[in-house]
Amino acid sequence: MIGANRIVRGPAITHPFGVDEAERRRIVERALELLETDVEPNTVWEVAE
Amino acid sequence: MAWELATFPADLLREPEPLEGVSVEIVQPGEPVRITHVLDAVEPRIRPDGRPAFPTEGKAGEGRTNRLDGVVVLSCLDFAGEERPLHEQESIVDLAGPGAAFTPFAQETCVVLTFQPGRAGNEDAEAAARRTALQVAEHLARSTLDVEPVDLERFEARSADPGLPAVAALIQLSDLGPLYYQYVYGTPAGKAGLPRIVEPTEVLDGAVTCGEYHWAAMRNPTVFFQRNALIRSLYREHGKRLRFAGVVLMRGYEQSAEDKQRAADAAATRAEELGADGVVITTDAGGNSHTDVMLTCRACERAGIRTTVTLAEETDPESTRPILTDWVPEADSIVSTGNLEELVEEWKPERILGGEELLDGTPAAKAGPIPVRNYLGAANQMGQLTLGARTE
Amino acid sequence: MKAVHYVNQFFAGLGGEDKAETPPARLGGAVGPGRGLAGELGEVEIVATLACGDDYFAEHEEEALATLLGYLEQESPDVFIAGPAFGSGRYGYACGTLVAAAAERGIPSVAAMHPENPGVDTAGKAYVVPTAVNVAGMRDALPRVARLATALAQGRDLGTASDEGYLPRGFRRNYFAEKTGAERAVDLLIAKLGGETRTEVGGGLDRVEPPAAVPDLSETLVALVTEGGCVPQGNPDRLPSVRAKGWLRYELDGAETLSAARYESVHGGFDVTLANEDPNRLVPLDTARALEREGRIGRVHETFYTTTGNGTPVVASTRFGREIAGELREAGVGAVLLSGT
Repeated sequence: MIGANRIVRGPAITHPFGVDEAERRRIVERALELLETDVEPNTVWEVAE
Repeated sequence: MAWELATFPADLLREPEPLEGVSVEIVQPGEPVRITHVLDAVEPRIRPDGRPAFPTEGKAGEGRTNRLDGVVVLSCLDFAGEERPLHEQESIVDLAGPGAAFTPFAQETCVVLTFQPGRAGNEDAEAAARRTALQVAEHLARSTLDVEPVDLERFEARSADPGLPAVAALIQLSDLGPLYYQYVYGTPAGKAGLPRIVEPTEVLDGAVTCGEYHWAAMRNPTVFFQRNALIRSLYREHGKRLRFAGVVLMRGYEQSAEDKQRAADAAATRAEELGADGVVITTDAGGNSHTDVMLTCRACERAGIRTTVTLAEETDPESTRPILTDWVPEADSIVSTGNLEELVEEWKPERILGGEELLDGTPAAKAGPIPVRNYLGAANQMGQLTLGARTE
Repeated sequence: MKAVHYVNQFFAGLGGEDKAETPPARLGGAVGPGRGLAGELGEVEIVATLACGDDYFAEHEEEALATLLGYLEQESPDVFIAGPAFGSGRYGYACGTLVAAAAERGIPSVAAMHPENPGVDTAGKAYVVPTAVNVAGMRDALPRVARLATALAQGRDLGTASDEGYLPRGFRRNYFAEKTGAERAVDLLIAKLGGETRTEVGGGLDRVEPPAAVPDLSETLVALVTEGGCVPQGNPDRLPSVRAKGWLRYELDGAETLSAARYESVHGGFDVTLANEDPNRLVPLDTARALEREGRIGRVHETFYTTTGNGTPVVASTRFGREIAGELREAGVGAVLLSGT
């Protein structure tokens, strides 16, 4: 990972934001939480089920 | 007893010929000659038992092979303009001047074969040139058959102190399609069942030949396998600082991410099968073959096998950061085989072989400073030569 | 041969911290430690000393630099020497910046300071002679500085950092080692197996300081950026599938979603079937709009940015990022959702 400090792990290369809207909502909301958080470099968050 | 003479019509030759001609020049060591469009360099070899010096079947590396010392065959070909190899780089050998230090041929007698391509297309021209160069190399060694050698080296597995660390060599061979193959027994690396364990002597005895023409300084010509410094070092050190565990040949430019990972994992498994505690991983050519090396490094380290990687740099000489094509944190032990981008001082040769003009149209006799990138094998990533880079 | 010497206000004898705002000055001949330096320099004569207050330089860098370089160029010296600054950060910064600028103008230049002085990193192509951390190291430093300065004045080709006594400048330079790369690899591996890991070249990843958290997303303009190759149907601006040389921007015009009828992906690095069935899988516009309606985020930026991240050199993608970020900042964007593939 070069330069990216806030990373949310998506399900796959072919659909990083998820297949359906519900999954997409969970991923984007996780991303928003990460944006609202101070981090160390290269922080990777998983999406809670 | 009767005799039959069969006649065939001249128009059989209507098929376009792969080559229109070849010229041969013999150049003595250190003559002020610049050779351009160099494809490959081959050491003359012949087997007294009559088996081929560059076999396409069976197993090399057993019995006895003769080599002619101090002579190398250099093949040159200026591919026809239409379908040049995709990113072809000019490939030069200087036999004197500042560029002479960057290839090992200035101290040898060079038999330079300059091929004129025919109209059959680049692949046919290349195949004919490669075959011819190997045949000439074998033919040149014929005179060794009637004479006693001045030196005889014996390469064999010997036992060693089991307390010494076991070290294997993982040697990368490229395959990215036509004119971009290294060959294993005449088969392109991608179809040769790699990664695969071979006897070290197979590599030294003509099993691997060069057919990769995109890169110049990062190319591994045939002679670098015949005289492979890494394998020779490991034989030398066997029983002293290490046990030589063996050699794995692996492919560079696996095509998909899955294939790359699978091949990296398989190479690590081969290294485990050899019982290696540590491996030296070499690189061939540039671009994503470096990714294959890094994935292999990581796979080995995760399997508990320590790694050292050899590769070249592409660092802008004005920059204060080394530039590697790819890297993983596990690659913490890297030998740099030099910086491709540095310029070699200008030199005016007295004679040009191969072709009077470089690929970009500049006259070869007045080319100005030439980047290391364009000297054949100068920054080869098997560690064959002494070039390195350091921070100043 | 002629040298010009640079010192700060203190070493120029103009005063201490209280005189740190002194503007650039040109003094005749050797001053302060310059006298000791002159003694070591032999045939190189210090024809002028330039001085400036450390704070003045830090606060009016452009001006100070211009003035001092002007004085320097008037003298046409064979070598320019700055410091020794020892551990003094502001002084070291001024020395480093000056010698770098002088070297750019073709004047052979050398500074002297402690290896950990932040000024070392500003010296560019000029040379830095390492010194002790404080003025107790003056007597040790001056002969070494003089030696390098004389070599530079004579136009002699310098050897390696360790041979000539300067700090490595970070340039990679080819050399012919005693051993082949193969032998060196075996040496490195044996050392690593013995517990000592060494490398001839370091890799590394760029480190970028993470920006602080977004204080209030409900007040924030959020932009969508992708390297997934998402473009309007038909790829009207011909975004390449591989080795893209640039990026593109498209207006959303208030669209609530990226429909399959109007968008597609041209990325050559993965199977785009799923992305083409529903482009929101690459660029989550539908979700972003919902969150905008709910007030969770302030607004969705009506311009989205796209490129193909396939076979792109790091240097190029760094440029793309900088350029896109520049536009986003101009537009007042406070946060970005970047989809990577």
